[in-house]
Amino acid sequence: MSNVHERLRRLLFLVPYVSKHPGVTVEALARALNVSREDLLEELDLLTCVGRPPFNPDDYIDIYVDNDRVYVDLDQRLFAPPRLTAGEAAALAASAELLRPASGDALQSALQKLERVLPPQVRERYREMYRKIDASAEAPQALGPLTRAILERLEVTFGYASPGRAAEPRRVRPYELLSHRGQWYLQGFCHTRQDSRLFRLDRMEDIVITETPFVLPPDARADVPNPARSRSEDSVRVRFSPVAAPYVKERFGQDARPLADGGVEVLVAGDSERWLTQWVLSFGGEAEVVEPVSARAAVARAARASIGL
Amino acid sequence: MDRTERILDLVALLLDAREPISWAELREHFPADYGGSDDAAERKFERDKAELVELGFPLTYVQGDDERRDGYIVDRDAYYLPEADLTKEELAVLYAAGSAALASGVFPGRDDLAHALRKIGFFAGQSLPTPRVRMELGAVQEGQVKEVSARLEQLWDACAARKWVEISYASPKHPNATHRRVDPYGLALRRGVWTLVGHCHLRGGLRTFHVHRVRELKVNTARPRTPDFQVPEDFSLDNHVAYFPWQHRFHEPLEVVLRLSGPLAARASGLFPGATLEPKGEGLTLAKLRVSFLDGLARFCLSLGADCVVEGPESARSRLREMAARVANRHADALEGKVTA
Repeated sequence: MSNVHERLRRLLFLVPYVSKHPGVTVEALARALNVSREDLLEELDLLTCVGRPPFNPDDYIDIYVDNDRVYVDLDQRLFAPPRLTAGEAAALAASAELLRPASGDALQSALQKLERVLPPQVRERYREMYRKIDASAEAPQALGPLTRAILERLEVTFGYASPGRAAEPRRVRPYELLSHRGQWYLQGFCHTRQDSRLFRLDRMEDIVITETPFVLPPDARADVPNPARSRSEDSVRVRFSPVAAPYVKERFGQDARPLADGGVEVLVAGDSERWLTQWVLSFGGEAEVVEPVSARAAVARAARASIGL
Repeated sequence: MDRTERILDLVALLLDAREPISWAELREHFPADYGGSDDAAERKFERDKAELVELGFPLTYVQGDDERRDGYIVDRDAYYLPEADLTKEELAVLYAAGSAALASGVFPGRDDLAHALRKIGFFAGQSLPTPRVRMELGAVQEGQVKEVSARLEQLWDACAARKWVEISYASPKHPNATHRRVDPYGLALRRGVWTLVGHCHLRGGLRTFHVHRVRELKVNTARPRTPDFQVPEDFSLDNHVAYFPWQHRFHEPLEVVLRLSGPLAARASGLFPGATLEPKGEGLTLAKLRVSFLDGLARFCLSLGADCVVEGPESARSRLREMAARVANRHADALEGKVTA
């Protein structure tokens, strides 16, 4: 898509936005449009030259910055943004699929309302484009209540089953939901552990939204789980055959160390023996734990158990 | 005059007009822009018109009659975005999903999506939700995000305009890149991986390509407004992209029966969505599923541990045993004693 097109779309939104929010700060406006302050001031400059023929003084858009706030006096009929284009509606609908299983009726009704505000001649094109992105994710039901708890800043309680342990009750301030490699996580402050924690949604049960409010820390952001980035003293050395190596390199990039036989080796966090064992087994014999011996033994035991030994 | 400025002037002029505006009038209004030879001026205006249509500007040409003259007119009702009356919940879910997609850095139609979010938030005032949902794609390395994002954007445009693309593609299985022409039918996201599905001219059939494995990509630029291909009526992305490892289409489908016991029995529907489940009393479930990649299933079952057993057919049982024996043997010294499959 050309830069001119992007800029035009932005400018056709900018005037109505300022018209609706007179006195919006330059900073807030730049944030709303995802442009830098400098670029925004340049766009505002350009808009003062825009108008309709015969270009009398009253025919120009009158938009100005006063005391770092933006105002528009003459909008030249640009008081509402253009309707959604087929592409915009399709991208929005496709992204909404990410939360479909978790969003209940709200998503269905939102999409119906969106379709109603499309210009009639665009609807068919929208439906055609919407079919072309399929982002339906394996979103667990728990996303619904957790999204609500994050938005309303309310603490939640749930039972959490750590691997190899029965579920235990947790009370958590929910900060952020993160989807990584198709797996959903909640990041938050756990009262039970008195620390920040990342919880897998598929291990939560009986989620309850409490009435206890909390303040969201400004820097709350979940770290993407990467076993090769959380090495510790208990790290485990795993070696992959040349058959599996290209896939492991694709996943771990430079964290996968090449070996002379064409395989690769990865050093991963060894704090969860169960996770590690499952992971090594999932390569069906193309992965081998080199050390420590305890981890090798755990993998051997699990493999033998699978064939009833 | 700057092109952006001219097009915005045209928008202002046409939104204000009560009567159709003829081409001659337009040339008078913009003498510097639509001056020169008739041909050049018309070509320039055609390009501007196409841009206006792309922006969703409902511009039409009307043939005049006794009452009305010939010219261009715009339907204002079709231009302005009406309020969609989204409830707080509806807005929250659209915002959460949309911003998660944007935050992922790699979502086809990113620009379109960003504009759509702005527009639907227009009437929301101060009550706009601050979404806290993020999506990270697993297969894309940190340094690759920009590249994959740009490819998805090109593919989104190519899918929308139905233009063929030329790609250079290398997978871990076949690391030597092949060059091929593909008619892009659509894009699907599964477990953090974007897949392009389309008709591959090199292989003469439908193929799937992981977008992060596309090395080079070029969209056919000839006749941009004329589609190069049609997508078959009965085409569905879902039929061609696997959710789970056993759904990759590597061999003829076969039905496999699994016996899930212990804690797995209750989790059967989550572990094997779409499988036919037969509860067999306390702590035991049989799961029947269609498998078109046996090794994928065997590896997944192996990772679930001893509570997941393959009941049949024999080919599936022996494949899992072989794999387990191989893993056990490679680690045998830690326990002593070898195993035979």
